[in-house]
Amino acid sequence: MSGLLTEAFLSSLLTGAIVAAIPMLLAGLGEQMSEKAGVLNIGIEGMMLMGAYLGFFVAYETSSLWMGFLGGMLGGALVAVVMAVLCVWLGLNQIVIGIGLTLGAEGLTALLHHFQFSRTYPRLPAPERLDIPGLTDLPVIGPSLFGRHLIVYLAVLAVIVLAALYRRTNLGMTLRAAGERPAALDVAGGNVLGIRVVAVLFTGAMAGLGGAYLANIGAGLFIPFMTGGAGFIGIVLAMLARGRPLWVLIGALIFGAALSLTTALQVAGSNIPTDVIQMLPFAAVMLVLVLFGRRAKLPSALAASYERGAR
Amino acid sequence: MKNLLISTALSVALGATAAFAAEVDTIAVLTPEQGSDYGWNQQGVEAAKAAGEATGVEVIVAEGLGYGDVRAPMRELAAEGADLLIAHASGYNTAGPEIAAETGVPVAIVDSPDALQDGLVADYTLSGHEGAYLAGRLAAKMTTTGTVGIVVSGEPPSWNSQSAGFAEGVHAEDPDVKILYSVIGPAAYSDAAGGNRVTTSVIAAGADIIFGQGNGSSFGMIQAVESNKATDGSDVLFIDVIGDKSELDKGHLLTSVVWDMTPVYTAMIEDLKNDEFGTHGYEISLKNDSVKLIKTPQVDEEAWAAVMDLRDQIIAGDITVEPKFDAEAVRSLVTVSE
Repeated sequence: MSGLLTEAFLSSLLTGAIVAAIPMLLAGLGEQMSEKAGVLNIGIEGMMLMGAYLGFFVAYETSSLWMGFLGGMLGGALVAVVMAVLCVWLGLNQIVIGIGLTLGAEGLTALLHHFQFSRTYPRLPAPERLDIPGLTDLPVIGPSLFGRHLIVYLAVLAVIVLAALYRRTNLGMTLRAAGERPAALDVAGGNVLGIRVVAVLFTGAMAGLGGAYLANIGAGLFIPFMTGGAGFIGIVLAMLARGRPLWVLIGALIFGAALSLTTALQVAGSNIPTDVIQMLPFAAVMLVLVLFGRRAKLPSALAASYERGAR
Repeated sequence: MKNLLISTALSVALGATAAFAAEVDTIAVLTPEQGSDYGWNQQGVEAAKAAGEATGVEVIVAEGLGYGDVRAPMRELAAEGADLLIAHASGYNTAGPEIAAETGVPVAIVDSPDALQDGLVADYTLSGHEGAYLAGRLAAKMTTTGTVGIVVSGEPPSWNSQSAGFAEGVHAEDPDVKILYSVIGPAAYSDAAGGNRVTTSVIAAGADIIFGQGNGSSFGMIQAVESNKATDGSDVLFIDVIGDKSELDKGHLLTSVVWDMTPVYTAMIEDLKNDEFGTHGYEISLKNDSVKLIKTPQVDEEAWAAVMDLRDQIIAGDITVEPKFDAEAVRSLVTVSE
């Protein structure tokens, strides 16, 4: 195996980990805000798919990746509007609606793809990378960590911004109150439904951005069902992160590295059966759940709809 | 009187034969993805239509059914009067025999050669291993880095046999060429991002020609091939399977091992009519062009001529390429590094 541990290969391993981690990071950060506000957003997979579709569509039509990312955020937010109306305002079951939204988005995006792209399968050009002077030239880690598209750095920046928002701002405290003690927030003059709606829309936008990244950077095209459960992994990451964005980032990187490692082991000609190798990412999730699952701290009012005066 | 008796006996005999032969008016083909994917699904749908036209049978196309439970659409198609259900995905080979037993409508499935049931279940585990072998010979002739890659989105028997055929072709041409092998994920047929990620890794490990089998994920592989340079700075080339993506090509498609399933579906319909359905499997081969390589502008003329000569030798029986359907056989043929 050592024969394959070249700079190019290790660099590719790291690259693969980051490419795989970013969509899950964005989805996980979005889900985290929703959960903080007391909304369990199971529909995040559907929001990612809609973001992937609309993100690709806009990028392709405008020849602009950035417009595509905006389109992706809009696509995710559009699905989130349905979630907000049905679950926050009308108080319907969040799990049932979330599953329905995912299935609906799967069908709708596959249908749209069929009519628009299934005869031509257009692809976007390779994304431009932003090289950070001095760092990109570092061996092995340089090109992988410091030669990425700008959106990757912005995703990491979002971790810092959200961590500051949750810890140091009134908005962060209000979000926590909406998830922990919505009645208390209401009594204190806070708008429980309003803050939950904002959180759900933010989740949709972040998930949509993750989907757009997957389509525009990760694949260069849209394929039906292409998110392949990345949104659900985002939910797991958010639940295990105990409200901390940095832990979402670490979890996404661990899962991304596990995914990338499956390729590395196979390419290295490992004698471990492929089926076992393919289990690694999921085994990693199971291991993390076993080790840290019991320590997961979820908001008291998570998945419970809020109605003023209701007991 | 004697003539009358003979003609009566003949009439009864012929009538009895006709009574046993099944009437086939309508067949249905069920595919997991849209029949416009330039690959497995499109070839299946187009072959069913061509077979229907050749035999005067109506064809119902049920496409984009996904990889989950297809029992409901199968029941619906059986109720609509389909005389044969072609379940065109390895993921359907559990539901297929169940629905055949439940409705009495014959079902054709893939990747289950042991599941034959007389008159009820047939298997068409096809293999383009002869074509893949030729693709391997071509790849070994054209690689500049001395390393080629095989990327697959799953390990169904048909793909294993092509992966093995490709690896055998590479070895036969040049035993020193390294073959890297990677599976994207468990049944990652539509994982385009995974296809891109894995192919990028394989290219970074030195491969400059990728033999890709992936349905929707193939497009991610192609994106990676177009976006990355080989480790020696040359362009990376892609070898596709089953369908013909040459009209989407941006100068990186080396060839494709194209399948034509029309003879298979036509034979199935004939077997149904002759009461022989479910008694044997089906195959495609270089002999009748149901397996063939396509020539693209990226192919070196001299290499192509040599490969076509090899094709003739396979057809003549001078070279034998045996299908190997299990994943272990594939792994035994790829490069294990020290």
